[in-house]
Amino acid sequence: MTRPIRKIMVYVDGSEQSITAAQYAIVLAKALGAELYALYVVDTRALAELVKSRIFLEAEQDEYRRDLDGDASRYLNHVKELARRKGVPVSTEKSSGAVNVEIKSKVSALGVDLLVLGEISQIRSRRDELYNETERAMRNAQCPVLIAKGEEKIWDLYEALE
Amino acid sequence: MALIDLIEESVVRAPLRAADKESAIRELVDTLAKAGKILDADTAYRAVLDREAKGSTGLEEGIAVPHGKTIAARELTIAIGVSPDGVEFGSMDGKPARLLFLILAPPDKAGPHIEALAEIARMSRSKAFCASLASCRTPLEVIRLFKDE
Repeated sequence: MTRPIRKIMVYVDGSEQSITAAQYAIVLAKALGAELYALYVVDTRALAELVKSRIFLEAEQDEYRRDLDGDASRYLNHVKELARRKGVPVSTEKSSGAVNVEIKSKVSALGVDLLVLGEISQIRSRRDELYNETERAMRNAQCPVLIAKGEEKIWDLYEALE
Repeated sequence: MALIDLIEESVVRAPLRAADKESAIRELVDTLAKAGKILDADTAYRAVLDREAKGSTGLEEGIAVPHGKTIAARELTIAIGVSPDGVEFGSMDGKPARLLFLILAPPDKAGPHIEALAEIARMSRSKAFCASLASCRTPLEVIRLFKDE
């Protein structure tokens, strides 16, 4: 029987939940001998929406786009460092667009077997359900999805990894 | 992070007392300072005024979204003001702002900042929700409205 999980991808957005997800993905990759990918999506759709609604000025959009590019590099480097400490190779991917669309696209393009996402904020309204990007990624991804819950337990697992 | 995760009674001013734009921004910044959400009210106030100087964040239908990046904020933070009489905010449709969402974020947290602003942009399209929000007279009513939506 071939290994069911050969490629794992974790989505990182800079939130604490996504960093916890990255730690769990590292644990899994090491335990399963799987390839690990980390993805950050620069949410250009949200930027465009803010210009359209006139909350952002055009110049502000450019400024925040640069900020988001900086965030992407910083957080992906952080995941690289977390993985390096545990001797796990990781390939980082940065893309831009609508978050859930980009996640789905990368899953397909890379042939990912398991998508790891951070804990999803409590859904308190139908609007949350419609617009929460992690929620939408979970629903749309064409592969098994794992939601990394239990920050303390995951931290212990990550720390115990040799 | 969902907007509701950032909203608590201590960051809501309902009713907002200020009668003009600068005072309204100051009142909301001071609310955040009092709630322990920001380190320095003056720095945060200047950041918001600097942004407003480039163009008003007064939208249509009585909504304003003053915001800024500032080292005075340790994390993304929001204050909500409900002004029964409205505040002249230089809005696109000329109507006074009755709902003010002040958002402050540290310079290295662009992602959550944009996410929160986008959520407000979407919310502002719901006229029924905004009308209900504008009719709130206490912070508790605002919180309940967000949670019960």
